[in-house]
Amino acid sequence: MKKITFIFLLMPHLVFAELILEITQGSEDPYSVAFLNFEGSRKITDQINDIVINDLKRTGEFKIYNNSQILSVPNNEEEIQYDEFKLLNIDFIISGAVVSEEKFNLSASYNIYDVRKEKKIRTSKVFGIPNKIRQLSHYISDGIYEEITGLQGVASTKILYVTELNKNDKSLFRLIVADADGANEQILLQSSEPIISPSWSPDSKEVAYVSFETGMAKVFIQNIASGKRDLVVTNSSQISSPSWSPNGKFLSLTMYQDGNAEIYILNLKNKNLTRLTKHYSIDTESSWSPNGSKIMFTSGRSGSPQLYEINLRKSNAQPKRITFEGNYNAKASYLSNGDGIIFVHRSKSKFQIALKYFNENFVRPLTESKLDESPSISPNGNVIVYAITENEMGLLAGVTLSGARFRLPAREGEVREPSWSGYLR
Amino acid sequence: MFNFKKSFIKKSFNTSVIIVFLSSCSSMNITEETVYDGGIKTVQASVTKETTLDYESRAIFTNATVYFEFDNYNLTSKSIQTLKSAVTAMKDNSSIKITISGHADERGTREYNLALGQRRAESVKDYFALNGIDTSRLGVKSYGEERPLMSGSDEKSHAKNRRAEIN
Repeated sequence: MKKITFIFLLMPHLVFAELILEITQGSEDPYSVAFLNFEGSRKITDQINDIVINDLKRTGEFKIYNNSQILSVPNNEEEIQYDEFKLLNIDFIISGAVVSEEKFNLSASYNIYDVRKEKKIRTSKVFGIPNKIRQLSHYISDGIYEEITGLQGVASTKILYVTELNKNDKSLFRLIVADADGANEQILLQSSEPIISPSWSPDSKEVAYVSFETGMAKVFIQNIASGKRDLVVTNSSQISSPSWSPNGKFLSLTMYQDGNAEIYILNLKNKNLTRLTKHYSIDTESSWSPNGSKIMFTSGRSGSPQLYEINLRKSNAQPKRITFEGNYNAKASYLSNGDGIIFVHRSKSKFQIALKYFNENFVRPLTESKLDESPSISPNGNVIVYAITENEMGLLAGVTLSGARFRLPAREGEVREPSWSGYLR
Repeated sequence: MFNFKKSFIKKSFNTSVIIVFLSSCSSMNITEETVYDGGIKTVQASVTKETTLDYESRAIFTNATVYFEFDNYNLTSKSIQTLKSAVTAMKDNSSIKITISGHADERGTREYNLALGQRRAESVKDYFALNGIDTSRLGVKSYGEERPLMSGSDEKSHAKNRRAEIN
């Protein structure tokens, strides 16, 4: 096989293939919210209005009314005619303004009014900087979301994913971090060799991933801010499928030194390796339970890929089979409350994202296309982002707890392997 | 269909967020926070070049490829025919070292396919070893589904992609 090695110029600030957000379906019973345009210079407020409205819509939990869809636009708190909003069945009113706009300081404030209670329930201020209007807006979205729903918002979190561009028979793989809405893409790593299985450290300051740059699959850890990166284990065989323990002290890995895929746990401090599985069939795709006491993994030991769980607190614990439905169940991750798992499930000839609660003996399919994979759950447990294949191209899609669906197709190239960060705010 | 159990997550805030509850207005939330701005550094992977090929000795059997069934790593009788001539060439020229790369089609998960590709390469390695080739001459690795020969989503493309390449 002919191997091509070439160097790409480093262009970290180049504007390139940004993901485009499409909201395909909303919740059946959303909160109705009047979002009054922010006050301040249009150059800034237009952006804030757009970003916040999109963030709220994407959760699937809001129906948004803008200035032209309400009976009268109040200029201040005293002018709010609550009866008018009640006529439109609006639950909450949001108003806001850019309060300071200087060279190094851009701050905004916002208020939330409860229409039924006829009173202001929140007033907030966010301090930012002028070239980070998106982040400022995401903070506003999250404040609104948590005030109204009681759940922490994820607009200010990030998504990690891999893109592949093919030009003149050459491939360019990129590991990219972007805002949860797909905007503000920044490249963490680029390579002419494949990159797979990216995953965030629990503090979201580092990422682990598999890169083929040395000629075979190897696991690296990279610091996001400094770019410093290390091979986690140096040996001559391939290593893959990294997953961080919830306390950030361990990394579970698939190692191939025994001639077969087996799961090991690496102590990141002293580099000690502990073997977790021992079976002649494939064991891979490990993932930790939220409290770190159990590991779920994919094993071929029954003759087809199925999910198994192993209890780390019991010595010599035997893996317990979790899935029995169909002949392909793989790549699981735990729900944030630990009550169940999401994973890739084959139904007839389709690979879908599915959910299984531990107290139920059936699988709930969540997605409907043909080649869905790599599900990742948002830190509030409310949204699942996953990879789909459409017209032989990879792109990202999402589904929320409330039933809303969205897609993040790229303008150029394939997008795959999404991984959701923890909270950054 | 999509029926999650609603779980409310305890709100937690890091140090950049200050929540002040005013006593005069007991039910209103007043917050102030500063946008956190973490930097990002782009890294360029320096790809390792494969060792220079010795074309003279390799010309005996370049690009031998064997194919597999879905989710399976057993050698077919057709594959064994292909490997027989490779074994002969290996015996005739003891200086040849080979790398066996296993591959999978796009269906299923990437990591499981990486493991499956590795098992396919191991099956080929086992055949060479059983036929008297020293394992020090046999390198094994997998590309999983990352390096397809054909890009289509039909069975014809899938069959071409489920393979082990010897070179």
